[in-house]
Order: sequence, then structure tokens, then C-alpha cells
Amino acid sequence: MSATLESPADLDDEEREALETLLKRLGDDEYVLAERYTEWQVKAPTLESDLALANNAQDELGHARLWYDVLEDLGYEEHELVYEREADEWRHSTLVERPFAEGDWADAVLRHYLYDVAEDIRLDALEGSSYAKIADRVGKIRSEEEYHLEHASNWVERLANGDEGAERLQDAVDRLFPHALTLFEPCAPATGAGDASGDEDVEETIVSAGFRDATLEEMREGWLSTVVPFLDDLGLETPASELVHFDEYEFDVTEDVLPDAVGRDGSHTDAWDDLREEFTHTYRELERSEATKIMDKPE
Amino acid sequence: MIWEVFRQEKQGDYHTHCGNVHAPDREMAKQFAAIQHGRRKPTNSLWVVPKEEVGETDADDVAFGGTTDKAYRWATAYNPDVDHAEEVVESEGQQAEAEKQRGDA
Amino acid sequence: MDLDTVKERAGPREFDPADDLPEEYRKAATRMIEFHANSEIMGAYLERPFIRQAPSIDRKLAFSAKVQDEIGHGQLLYRAAESLGVKTREEMLDDLANGDGKFLNCFHYPMEDWVETPMIAFFVDGAAMRRQATLRRTSWEPYAHAMDKVCFEEGFHVKHGEDILRTLMTGSRKEQKLTQEAFEKWWPRIIQFFGPTDDRSTHHDFASAVGLKQQSNDELRQAFLDQYIPKARKYGLEIPDEPRIRERDDGTYEVVEDDLDWDEFFTIAKNEYEPGVGQIDGRKKAQEAVEWVRDTLESNDMPAGNQPPQAAD
Repeated sequence: MSATLESPADLDDEEREALETLLKRLGDDEYVLAERYTEWQVKAPTLESDLALANNAQDELGHARLWYDVLEDLGYEEHELVYEREADEWRHSTLVERPFAEGDWADAVLRHYLYDVAEDIRLDALEGSSYAKIADRVGKIRSEEEYHLEHASNWVERLANGDEGAERLQDAVDRLFPHALTLFEPCAPATGAGDASGDEDVEETIVSAGFRDATLEEMREGWLSTVVPFLDDLGLETPASELVHFDEYEFDVTEDVLPDAVGRDGSHTDAWDDLREEFTHTYRELERSEATKIMDKPE
Repeated sequence: MIWEVFRQEKQGDYHTHCGNVHAPDREMAKQFAAIQHGRRKPTNSLWVVPKEEVGETDADDVAFGGTTDKAYRWATAYNPDVDHAEEVVESEGQQAEAEKQRGDA
Repeated sequence: MDLDTVKERAGPREFDPADDLPEEYRKAATRMIEFHANSEIMGAYLERPFIRQAPSIDRKLAFSAKVQDEIGHGQLLYRAAESLGVKTREEMLDDLANGDGKFLNCFHYPMEDWVETPMIAFFVDGAAMRRQATLRRTSWEPYAHAMDKVCFEEGFHVKHGEDILRTLMTGSRKEQKLTQEAFEKWWPRIIQFFGPTDDRSTHHDFASAVGLKQQSNDELRQAFLDQYIPKARKYGLEIPDEPRIRERDDGTYEVVEDDLDWDEFFTIAKNEYEPGVGQIDGRKKAQEAVEWVRDTLESNDMPAGNQPPQAAD
């Protein structure tokens, strides 16, 4: 499908709600992940790896900025989205909000990998978006994400090569894999209060309106079939089981692997409250009512 | 065996790549490079490096400097209408030049 | 090369790793560049919480980029120091962690609030940039080369710091008041950035004689005050009563040095000032926590075609 929808005026109410939900899903993932990545600045294993991770943090933050900018067309401003939104109005996956234990570089690079594979699949599904601004921005984001994915895979491979690294990676897989699955959970409508189950209708509209051309289920399958064999080759075990289906391998994970809080529906882990408290601190302390811009509005 | 050659014109300058030589080992590479690359252009020092030890990554592999807006990391994004210390002005001039080169590339 | 020859030849970018330099030169240069590199790291450590606390996405991006640049400067400078053959980067980073590595006075103080950020990002960085611009003519060529890149990048830091100050001082009354308070707290420390006057400075004579240092503490302090006192006033900051600063007839400034707390300064210089010790230990903990990653990389058998090179003779 080619991009035919130029502005929110081209959408009905249901489609607007779906677009808003999709953009929050995209922007919030990138924003919160960037917050976590920046924790490694001045704390990474070497000076060189410090620079590289800082680069990726800035890239993700820049991507969040692009998605939030599209949300501005729907009537939001940065300060409302980032500094004044209630905790349960955020739609990011719990994978990106989990805190790091000090020195747990295995967690950082594995999370990086799990996320970047999903991001690659997601961008693929957005490339032909019917909403022009989304389709336009995918290309720019994608070429930066390619570096991220290679960077993350390289690190995971190197760590898996040592005893301590392999052990720490396995711990990270055990801890993070369930949270990574929430990347593919349905979102509660962006404007509604979070209910426990998310909302299949909104997700259906995202696809039927052509905003994204793959379903969550399809993306989840694609992700499992990339991630599971890669980790398996490195000797890392996941909770996924392998099904042979007409000579093709498919992977599946049972429902009970999902964590209690899945993020997408507005339910989050405790770590999220602490993180949000910290990044809104100055804004609240100085009683600000807008966010300072340095750069021009994205084209 | 091929050796990449880097020449420094005068003391304090940078060594920049200027060509290569075929030579069986490092000693011979230095001797050949001195004649091949140092005999005419002003030369203060040469480095020779085995070609096979040079790693390369190019613009097809990486989007150097990123593809989204990174104006925040350039001096030119801030306070254009204010006087600055001469060293700040000089730095900003260099950054403006680098930004321009990136744009032209 | 003997010391007299070094002193005779000591011009800008005069010496490089191919020169056979006396131990006195190599040790003095290592001490100076290591101090500079350590300061980049500890400055970044002090500023890193404000990446998170920045009150907008653009500010956050800029803060992240600045902290990233500082780590990059550390990388360049440790390499310039390492090339003197006295200490490896690992030894220098270990010394910084165990409290033996020295660094700038300003980075021993805690920084708690956003309103304090321009005190470092505008004034201290402005002071540092003044000094670094002169070091592009230092006699150790690798140091001068590092300074080329540092000066290239640093203009963004100072201008970003100034932009934060401008926003605060044109913001609400509360913001202006808090910023003035932060300025009063930091101002004496900022003036001490350039160290004691030349007659009381321990290492000055030698570093200057061999061309490592291109301008004296006094000259640099003077240039800084002349540039930045008018800047502070322009944004509505009041210069504190102490230390007393006299404006000379030609419009330049003179500080009454005895008004500054030199006991505190020298306690800091010995790494014995309490908040600074906490910051050194905090970074040490972070460095130790990722020791295992460095060990893993060193013991790693790389995939085929990716081995580190053998000696190629």
C-alpha cells in the first residue's frame, strides 16, 4: 500500500485512536530504552564501548523525538507526552523499563539484541505505511538501527565465548525473554484507561487502516524464528519450544511465560515509577510548563 | 607483500596516507617508501603499515554520523546572536566547515 | 636527547614518540596529560546524572552528546599520555580508581541540581577551553594533536552551557534566584580552576621551560576573567563580594587571591576532600563492576579472520 493518508483530517475517530496508539507504542519504546542506555555512560566496560552505547542512546532518543513529533499532529506537545503523562498512560514494553544491575553488561547487550531484532521487523512492517509521515521516517531510522543490531549481535557473540559471559547471558535471557515477549502484546487504546488485557480492536485497526502491514502475531513469529536459533547456536536456552511444521521450524512460547505487567496495557513494573520520577524531576522542580527545543521541527 | 605508506610533511603535522610500496619486510618497506614517496614532496617522517592489517568500514556498512537530525551536537545550533570568546568562535567555525563538508558529501 | 637540548628546542609540536627524550620530560608530560585525561572522565562522571534530569528531549540529547565527547577526549588524552612510554592507559585508569590519580578541583564537588549545570558547562568548560586552545602549541606532538580534536568539539559544550544559563536567567524568578545561588557557590571554585598564582605553583617552571605549557596560570586566569565576568553580568548574574575583584583602569580584572580558600584547594589536590572521595569511589565501583567484560574480551578466541595481528617483521 502506498502512503495516501497525509494528515489526521483524513482519518475517522477509530483510525485516529489507532494511529495515536501505534505512535505511543513506537515512541515510548524508544524513549524509555534510551533512558536506560544512558545509564551506561561513563560506566561501560571500556572508553570505546562507552562512546558506542552513548551513540545508540542518542539514536533511540532521536527516533522517539520523530515519533512524538508525529503525535504533535494529533494535538500533543512534548511536555505533555514526556513530562506530564501519568505512569499508566505510557505504552512501552516492560523490556525497556527494567533496571540494570551495576556492571551487568550482559543484560545491556542482550536487551539491545532482543529489542533490535524486534525493531528491525517492526520497521519492515512500517515501511509501506499508509500514513505518509510514518513511511517517510522509517528509512532514516532504519539505517541507524542496522548499526545497533550488528553492534548488539557482535557483543552477544563475544560474551557467549567466555564462561562468565555465557553464564551472565543465560541469566539475562531468563530474566529478559518474558519481558521481550511483551513487545508483541496488544496495546490498550492510547486515550483510554489501562485495562488488564489490552485491546484487540485497536490493534486490528492499526493493520486494517494500513498504518502497519503486519499483525503482532506475525511479527512475534518472525522475531522468535530469528532470536531463538541465534541464541541456541550460542548455547543459550530460551523458554521457546520448537515445532516442526511441514519441514519448517516454528517456535512458540506458552502464555504463562508472560510477566504480570506487560507495559502495553498501561501496567508497568515498579522500576518504571522510579525512572519516571527521576527524568521528570527537574521539570517539576523548576515548575516548567514547556520543553526547551534546540533543533528545528523534523521535516 | 603490500605496505600502506603515511607521510608527515613537517614536524607537528599529521601522518596522512600517500600511497603504498611492494616490499618483502618492514625494513625494506621503509627504504623503498623513502624513495618512492619521500623524494620529492616535503617529508619529515613516514609510517609503513602492512596492508593486510588495515581494517576498513565504509559508508555502505555504516551511516557515519547518523541519518536523523543531530544538530544538538553542533555549536552552530546555539545562540547565534551572541559574542563568544575567540577559542569558541574558532571551534564553531571548524564545526560549521565540517557540517558543510558533510552536507556536500 | 639531554635536558638542555630539550629546553633549547622546546617549540610547538616539537617532540614525538620517535624522539629519545629524557625521563624528566616524559614524566612531567605524563603527569600533565594524565591529569587532563582524568579530569575529562571525572567531569563526565559529575555531569552524567543530568542526562536523565534534563528537562527536554533536546537538552537530554545535548547532555548525552557532551558526556560522550568527554569520554572521547579521555580516550584521546590517555593515548597521548601513553605514547610517552611511562604508564599504560589501564594503569592510569586504575590509579584514578584507587585515589592516586589527580584531576581538576571543580570535579571534586558534588553537583545536585540542574541550575548548577551551567557552572560547569559554561564557566568551567569556558575556562578549560581557554587553556586547551593554548595547548595546541604544546611541545608533545600527540598532546597537541589531541587538543586539535578536543578544541574542535568543545565549542558545542560551551555554547550549550551558555544556552542553559540563558534559559534559566530568562525563566521564572525562582529559576533566576536558584541560578544566582548556584553561581555564588561555584564562583570561587571556578576562579581556582587555574590553580595558585605562578609564584606558588609547583610544576610551572619546568613544564614551561620544556614547552609543555604555553601560558602561565596567571595569564590564563586573566584572560578568563576578562571574557567571562562581562558574560556573567550580561545574563544578570551578580558577581559575589568574595573573592574581592578589582577592576583595573584598562577594564581588566584582578582577584584578591587571599580571599580564596586555598586550604580546601590543597586538600582537594591530595584527593582528600570528602565529596570528591565519594565521587572517586563511585567511579571505582562502576569500573570494577565491568572488569569481567574486559577480562572476557582479552581471553576471547576471536572468530576466524578477526585475530589481532601478529608482529609483521
